[in-house]
Amino acid sequence: MRSPFAYTPRPGPLQAASPGAAVAYLGALTAVAFLYSSPLVLAAAGLAVALAGWLAAAWTAVRSAIRLGLAIALPIVVVNALVVNRGETVLARLGDWPLLGQVDVTAEALVDGAVFGLRAVVVMIAFAVYSACVDPDRVLRALRPVAGRSALTATLVSRLVPVAAADAGRLRDAARLRGPGAAEAGRAPLARRLLAGSLDRAVDVAATLELRGYSLPAREVHPPSHRWWMHPSSSRRRGSRHDLRFYLAGALVLGAAIAAKALGADEFHAYPTIQVGAGPATVALSALLLLRGLVPFRRKPRRRRV
Amino acid sequence: MSELAIRRGAAAALAIAALRYAYPRAPRPALADVSLEIAPGEFVLLAGRSASGKSTLLKAACGLVPHFHGGEIEGEVTVAGLDAIESGPGELAAAVGYVAQDPETQVVSTTVAAEIGLPLEMRGDSSAGRARAIEEVALALAIPHLLDRTVDTLSGGELQRVALAAALVTRPSLVLLDEPTSQLDPVAGDELIWLLRRLNEEWGVAVLLAEHRLERCLAAADRVVAMDAGRVTFDGAPGDFLAWSHASDPALTTPAARLFSLAGIEPLPPGVRQARQLLASTGAPLDAEGRTPSERLVLLGRPDRGRPHPPHPSKLREEGVLPSAPAALTSRALWIELSRNDERHDVIRGIDLKVRRGERVALMGRNGAGKSTLLKTAAGLIDPIRGKLEVPDGMALLTQNPSDYLVRERVGDELPGDAGLAALRVVGLEHAVDADPRDLSGGERQRLALAITLAGQMEGERLPGLVALDEPTRGMDRNRKGDLVDLIGELAERGAGVVVATHDVEFAAEFAARVVLLGDGVVIADGPAAEVLSGGWYFATEVARVLDLPGVVTPEQGAAALRGEEGSR
Repeated sequence: MRSPFAYTPRPGPLQAASPGAAVAYLGALTAVAFLYSSPLVLAAAGLAVALAGWLAAAWTAVRSAIRLGLAIALPIVVVNALVVNRGETVLARLGDWPLLGQVDVTAEALVDGAVFGLRAVVVMIAFAVYSACVDPDRVLRALRPVAGRSALTATLVSRLVPVAAADAGRLRDAARLRGPGAAEAGRAPLARRLLAGSLDRAVDVAATLELRGYSLPAREVHPPSHRWWMHPSSSRRRGSRHDLRFYLAGALVLGAAIAAKALGADEFHAYPTIQVGAGPATVALSALLLLRGLVPFRRKPRRRRV
Repeated sequence: MSELAIRRGAAAALAIAALRYAYPRAPRPALADVSLEIAPGEFVLLAGRSASGKSTLLKAACGLVPHFHGGEIEGEVTVAGLDAIESGPGELAAAVGYVAQDPETQVVSTTVAAEIGLPLEMRGDSSAGRARAIEEVALALAIPHLLDRTVDTLSGGELQRVALAAALVTRPSLVLLDEPTSQLDPVAGDELIWLLRRLNEEWGVAVLLAEHRLERCLAAADRVVAMDAGRVTFDGAPGDFLAWSHASDPALTTPAARLFSLAGIEPLPPGVRQARQLLASTGAPLDAEGRTPSERLVLLGRPDRGRPHPPHPSKLREEGVLPSAPAALTSRALWIELSRNDERHDVIRGIDLKVRRGERVALMGRNGAGKSTLLKTAAGLIDPIRGKLEVPDGMALLTQNPSDYLVRERVGDELPGDAGLAALRVVGLEHAVDADPRDLSGGERQRLALAITLAGQMEGERLPGLVALDEPTRGMDRNRKGDLVDLIGELAERGAGVVVATHDVEFAAEFAARVVLLGDGVVIADGPAAEVLSGGWYFATEVARVLDLPGVVTPEQGAAALRGEEGSR
């Protein structure tokens, strides 16, 4: 069964964009999540990146990321509530706990934990959209001229992970099919067998890479002046007409976030009492994240023929 | 083959002289004094038993031996003028393409287009050049619709074509293929061979193809090279090869050649077409009344094209081979759904099936028809969404890769105690209790894996009700298949119903009493093996395709029919 985060080629601006443009765009939205603690801004960033995934037809990945993110966020909230005793609104006094001492659950600690959790959800969604929409082959090939060994290792790993997962599934099936009179397969022997099989697989994949000429020195395909970040449309594989929009949207989002931060847009304090500001700068940044952040997906209206 | 395509006299596509090679720490050389030359545009079939040196020879021709595997090498290997011993596989990639047996391990990219374009990208071709080359090779192999798919969504046959496309995209002068049809159903296998033939003729690419199922590709070849113990034992035309193999190594003879040999007709035919032409033209009397083969075929009713094909399953289901034997497997209105490409698909659609104890059943059908899914469901690995599947007296299932069952370093540790020893006795491996499973031969490893599935399911020497094997003949030569036929016969005689999912029609004709043919999740034919395997084209033996006589599927049956002997059908 395929992972919901696995890359699937689809026609769409984000899939067609170069890896650099996609990273710039999704990275800017992720950076906002790390820069801000305001729940309003975090929610806007999360909504923007989720909508980007939806517009890129990666809703399955987004949905799985939200589920996974919430599964991570919940323990964060619980742990934060138990570990942090700050905050004036005590909801429950749980007495003395070993190692933790006096445990008081406060509304402020719960909300602070929820903000951490929300940040984790935003990052998870951004990663899921990246994983489902950006072709890993293009990323690895872009890396090859600058980090050949790392690219080779990454290629082997990216290929071997699904193969090893399939092998593990087969070994599990075989273990279940052993007769009751046979020795238990056992975790350690199975793990050894999987490791040995993975090494054999790695040798096969490495042989294929050799046959495809991967060990040859990387050659310059385009004239040096045609660097992909300078001239995205010079190559069908390395750039697309959507690149500029993603670069601009990323730059605008990041620039606006930094500027708004300087203007005091991040109006959120969890302690001693919860203060969530919704000043003009915060609202404006949230609106910009949603509106400008989704611009790269906007389709140009078709011209009517007269 | 036209002499135009084979450019004799031009620089050889592959030239090997006095080649001797031993893998690191191997007790004996894998190749010994091999000399061979392949002309540009030639289609050469590499024949030989398991471990005869075929794969090693292919690896030497593409530079993996010795550059990747190490070892000691002597002699000369030249590919399109390049010294393959000096140059590595990367340098040779432009001149030679290589397709290995398992397509799963020869794709390294995420999408099909990226996989095919990888060799060009490594070579430094421009994006425009790459786009055109990818498009052309995809059109040649009829896979343009796959270009945007990810490789993990492809079937085995599709993956094999993608691997072939990646090998051909640089327009090499030589392409090497190591048993490319071993994992394909008969339809996909035949398509691949004729695709190779077409590329060979249209592009002029020389082909060196190693195969066990010679009947599938002998007719397409210009020349056959046979190997044994690392040496070339025969090198000549397909017709001469058959005469040689009949006298020297009968395990390499094709079913049609055995048919002709048993019927006393010469020369031996390399393919179905030649066999039919020979039968139509030979004037030698065959039977006691002095009739020629064509007269015998007319008498036996071959021209009657209107004869019915295998009866409908509903009729044959009632004609069980052993109607009184207890059921080993019963399915009623069975529906099974699996997830594929993020969507749910019905893989089995309302199947009714009964297999009785003592029956030998071949479960056949195209890749993806639902054979493995049905067996896994019977073994409890998959839950059906509707209907019932019962295995009342237990079941042992050997899946496609026997090595998956072998996780310890000693046979006795895999199968301890009396139950283990009893299972080893059933498969004839009681002498190997102290052996390391990795030291066993391929056939012995398969039997050991079967013993592991049987252990503890037997009452004394009584087997579980059902023993199922999933594609057990992949990569097997005819001798090993013969051993497996014997083992299946023993298991059935001891009371187990034996179901074997297989693509190998010749193997099915040898072991099965009944064939169940699946198509798109439903039973499309179910009946005696001789009837089902003589009632079609793809799922029919070579003898059935030659003679086109109902119920005649093996060379022995065919020869008896031609000679007018009783009981041929």
